[in-house]
Amino acid sequence: METELIEILRTEVLDTPDPLTPRCDLFAAGLDSMGIMQLLLAIEDRFGVAIDPADLSRENFSTAEKIAALVAEKKAAASR
Amino acid sequence: MPADVQKSQPLRVTSSDGFLLGLESLMRRDGQGRHLAATVLECEGAPDLESISRMARDFGDRHPILQARVARGRDWIARWRVDEVVAAAIPVEIWHLPGASGNGTEIASLDELIDRCINGDDIDIFKPGPNLKLHVIVLSPDRWALVIAWSHSLLDAVGMTKLLQEFAGTAASPTGAIPEDEVSYSALYQEAHPMIEEMRSFPGWRVRSLKRKGGRPGKCRFHVVNFDREASAAIRAKMAETAGELLLLPYFASCAARAVRGVISARHPDEPASILLTLPVQRQKDPAKRPLFHNHMTAYMLLLTRDEMTDIRTASRALYRKYAGFIRRKLPAAMDALTRMMERCPSRLYNLPAFFYMKGEICSLFHSHTGSFLPGADHIFGSRVLNGYHVPSVCSPPGAGIFFSEHDGQLSMTLSWKDGCLSPLELELMKETLAEDLGVAVP
Repeated sequence: METELIEILRTEVLDTPDPLTPRCDLFAAGLDSMGIMQLLLAIEDRFGVAIDPADLSRENFSTAEKIAALVAEKKAAASR
Repeated sequence: MPADVQKSQPLRVTSSDGFLLGLESLMRRDGQGRHLAATVLECEGAPDLESISRMARDFGDRHPILQARVARGRDWIARWRVDEVVAAAIPVEIWHLPGASGNGTEIASLDELIDRCINGDDIDIFKPGPNLKLHVIVLSPDRWALVIAWSHSLLDAVGMTKLLQEFAGTAASPTGAIPEDEVSYSALYQEAHPMIEEMRSFPGWRVRSLKRKGGRPGKCRFHVVNFDREASAAIRAKMAETAGELLLLPYFASCAARAVRGVISARHPDEPASILLTLPVQRQKDPAKRPLFHNHMTAYMLLLTRDEMTDIRTASRALYRKYAGFIRRKLPAAMDALTRMMERCPSRLYNLPAFFYMKGEICSLFHSHTGSFLPGADHIFGSRVLNGYHVPSVCSPPGAGIFFSEHDGQLSMTLSWKDGCLSPLELELMKETLAEDLGVAVP
């Protein structure tokens, strides 16, 4: 999931040829409000997970690793 | 004259330039002035006039478009006629407030200068001559402001950010045109069709704006609120609690929509009027690579019904869902195709589909949150930037706009309206609704 998220971020949200690592600071890489919205839609489409606004914090979206953990947590909660 | 100026070819406008030319055309036809904006940077210390003049010369030499007119050719495509002009320095005017010693002309206030910029007639995109001007105003012995007057057909907020970054020496933007593939009208129509269908659904929602029937809109008025750090932090905390820490667009657009909705409800208490937002969405894949002077926005038309605007939480969630639906239904591409279909039409026809489907309305208000002001730079021309904000003029319809930006932790809000579209009492009502939703006083 982390790899797929990084690819979404790189090609669809940030549109950068530069490599992204799981712990790379996404806000420093250019992730902004519009990018977050594109990312949320991509997460819903690809992983079938809707992120609640309460979870939309800078902390949760600061790295691909943290976003992947949040998505995994939401998927697990939905399957219980 | 730089050698490459003589070789310049006319620069085709983008489809979003065409949309903005449509608004310019509407304003001119109705005697509403021009579609201008002022960008204000308040700075510490005294202005370095030599550096500013040097930049104005160098920048003007590099960008002949700053002197070019827009004209339609035999193929009816609008182009910046950079081939006709000689590059020249950006005009710089010097001002000072009463009591603030300085060069130039005395003027009563910074607001008066902004008023002259957005209501002026010295920038005319249909004639050769400056499309952007610099004003330096000394506010006090230790404070000055750079006011940039510009035509919205030349730049949008993304372009202005790039221009300021070049002024600040932190970035250089590519110039030239965005190459566009030739696409047949039938292919464009197929792509535009979902947006045409979407627009056909709008009349049923009884979209209203602040336009007043019968009255002739007058000058553009404005009110800028610069929230201090404490108030800005309180606004961000309320946004985080209401819509999440990161969803600026739906939250601030909902605040703006509810403020206009409050005025419309007071005027028409028995009407279940809806609010149609035309949001200039400027972030579509890599804005950093786009040229400086070609507008980059796509207009997202998002509708909020009365039931979706009962409170700010409901409104911001509804708007996020509408935004997601707009993207999922591929309406941004459809909107782009629709504007490209119309690029050969006279500008006065640009707004015709909206007028036709919405009975004389374009949308309910203009709104944008342009994000961080001058990111990556805290100084310009040797002075620390204390604050920055944009003051766009608006046309009627819709008659009003609510715009936000942020600099160094301080949020700024600009209310802009046409005389005759918003009474003093209605302005107070609008501010009350904004104060309630933002969670801070709006002076």
